[in-house]
Amino acid sequence: MSPVIEADGLGIAFKRNRRRNRRLRDLASGRAERAKRARRNQFWALRDVSFTVSEGEAVGLVGGNGQGKSTLLKLIAGVLLPDEGRLRVRGGVAPLIEVTGGFVGDLTARDNIWLTAGLHGLSKPEIAARFDEIVDFAEVGDFLDTPFRHFSSGMKVRLGFAVITTLDEPVVLVDEVLAVGDRAFREKCYKRMGDLLSGGRTLFLVSHNENDLRRFCTRGLYLRAGSLVTDGPVEDALERYREDTGRRRGPKSTE
Amino acid sequence: MAVHVEATPRLGALWGNRRILRLLVSRDLKVKYSDSLLGYVWSILEPLMMAGVYWFVFTQLMDRQLGEAPYIVFLLAAMLPWQWANAVLRASMKALSKDAKLVRSTNLPREIWILRTVGSKFAEFVFALPVLALFALINRAELTKFVVFFPLAVLLQGVLLTGAGLILAPLATLYSDVERLMRIVLRLLFYFSPIIYGVSDVQSRLGGTVADLYVLNPLAGIFDLYRTAFFADEWAGWGAVGIAAGVSVTMLVVGIFTFRRLEGTVLKEI
Repeated sequence: MSPVIEADGLGIAFKRNRRRNRRLRDLASGRAERAKRARRNQFWALRDVSFTVSEGEAVGLVGGNGQGKSTLLKLIAGVLLPDEGRLRVRGGVAPLIEVTGGFVGDLTARDNIWLTAGLHGLSKPEIAARFDEIVDFAEVGDFLDTPFRHFSSGMKVRLGFAVITTLDEPVVLVDEVLAVGDRAFREKCYKRMGDLLSGGRTLFLVSHNENDLRRFCTRGLYLRAGSLVTDGPVEDALERYREDTGRRRGPKSTE
Repeated sequence: MAVHVEATPRLGALWGNRRILRLLVSRDLKVKYSDSLLGYVWSILEPLMMAGVYWFVFTQLMDRQLGEAPYIVFLLAAMLPWQWANAVLRASMKALSKDAKLVRSTNLPREIWILRTVGSKFAEFVFALPVLALFALINRAELTKFVVFFPLAVLLQGVLLTGAGLILAPLATLYSDVERLMRIVLRLLFYFSPIIYGVSDVQSRLGGTVADLYVLNPLAGIFDLYRTAFFADEWAGWGAVGIAAGVSVTMLVVGIFTFRRLEGTVLKEI
C-alpha cells in the first residue's frame, strides 16, 4: 500500500500568552536571536510526531482535551503549517475540523453549500448534481434561504458533515462531530462513513466515544501533551489512554 | 527545521485554483452589486464626489494652474485607478481576517485571498470606466494614440498592488499598528501621486532632482500612463514607466517572500 500521509518529526509551537506582542523589531532581528526570544514564550502543541498512513486506513485519534488532536488534524488539512519536521499528504483532504465546516454565518445555507463545495474544488455542474443529496442528507430543505447563523447547532453540524463528506477528496478528517447530532442523524453518519471507508477513502476520526472509534478505526494514535505515545491497534491506544486517565483520576493508586 | 516551499509549485497551485479565484471574485461582485439596489451607484459615488470637489475648487473657485482641460477628465483618469489602489491597500489588510473562517478551513494557496482582493477591486475599477467615458464624451476629450498603453498601466498596477497586498495582509494581521499607520500613508500617498496634478506639473515647476525623486513613487509612472490616453502632452517618458515597472516587480517579489515567511504565524493567529 502506498502511504497517503507521511509525518516525520512533526512539531508546531504556539505562543503562551494570547496577547500579540510581536514587534516590528522582531522582523528585523536575526534568526538566532529571534528564536531565543521566542523559546521563552512558547509551548509545543505537538512535537516529534512521526507516523505513516496508508490508503484506505481508518485512524482514530485518542487523547484528552488540549493534547494536540485537533492541531494534528489541522496540520494534515494544511490549515496550519508545521514549525518543525515534514508532512506529506498525497491527494486532497476533506476536513470537517471546525464543527461548522468553515461556513459563513451571514450567507444562506444555499450560498454556503455552493461556496464551500466550490472552495474545495468542485465545479459548478458537480455541485449542481450533488446539491439535492446534500440538502436531503442534512435535512435542511426548508431552511435553504436562511442565514447560516440562525441555524441550530445540530443543523450546522448536519450541513457541514453533508457537504464535506460529499467531496471527492481521498482523505477525510472528522473532528468530534458525531457527538453533536441526534440518534437518527448519527445513524446516517455511521452509514456514510462506512460507505466512505468501503470506497477506499482514508479516514481520520477524533472522538471521545470509544464505541465510535472501535466501530470505524483499525488503528489508533494516542496523543498526550503533544507527543505520540501509542501508535497501534485502536484497542491498544484506548487501553493506554484509559490507563493514563485511571492513574490520574483513581482515588487510590497503588503506585 | 523550518519548512520550505518552493516558488514554482506555489504558482502552479495558484494557476490550478483559478476557478476558485473566479468564484471568489464573482461572489464579491454579486454581494456588491446585486444585493444592494444602489450597488453600482455606491461604487462610483466616492471617486465621483472627490473628483467633483477638486473640480469645483480648482476650476470654479480658483483659476486652475495645474493639469489640463477638461480638468474633470484629467482628474477622473487618475482618480479611478487611485480608487482601485486605495481600495486594494485597505481591503488587503483585512483579506485574511475578514474571512478567517474560510481561510482556516480550506487548504488553498493562501495568496489567493490577496489575489481575490486585487481582482474584485479591479472589476469595480473597470465598471467605473464608463463614467470616465461619459465625461470624456460630454467634454469632447479625445483619445490619443497612447490609449494602447492602458493594458500596460493595468498590468503594472496589478503587479504593484498584489505585491503590496501580500506584504500588508500578514503584517496587518499580526501587528495592529499597521492599519493605523496605513491610514496616514494612504492619505499622504494621495497627495504625493499625480491625481489632482500631473507629473508634468512637478517637472515644470520643481524640475531636476525633485522631479526625479518624485517618480520613485510607482503610482506616478502608472497614473501618467493612464492619463496620456487623453492628454498626450502629459507623457513623462519611458523613464517614469521603467521606474514604476521596476518598483512594482520588486514589490511583488518582496511580497511573495514576506507572505511565505509569515504565513505559518498568521495561520496560528487568525
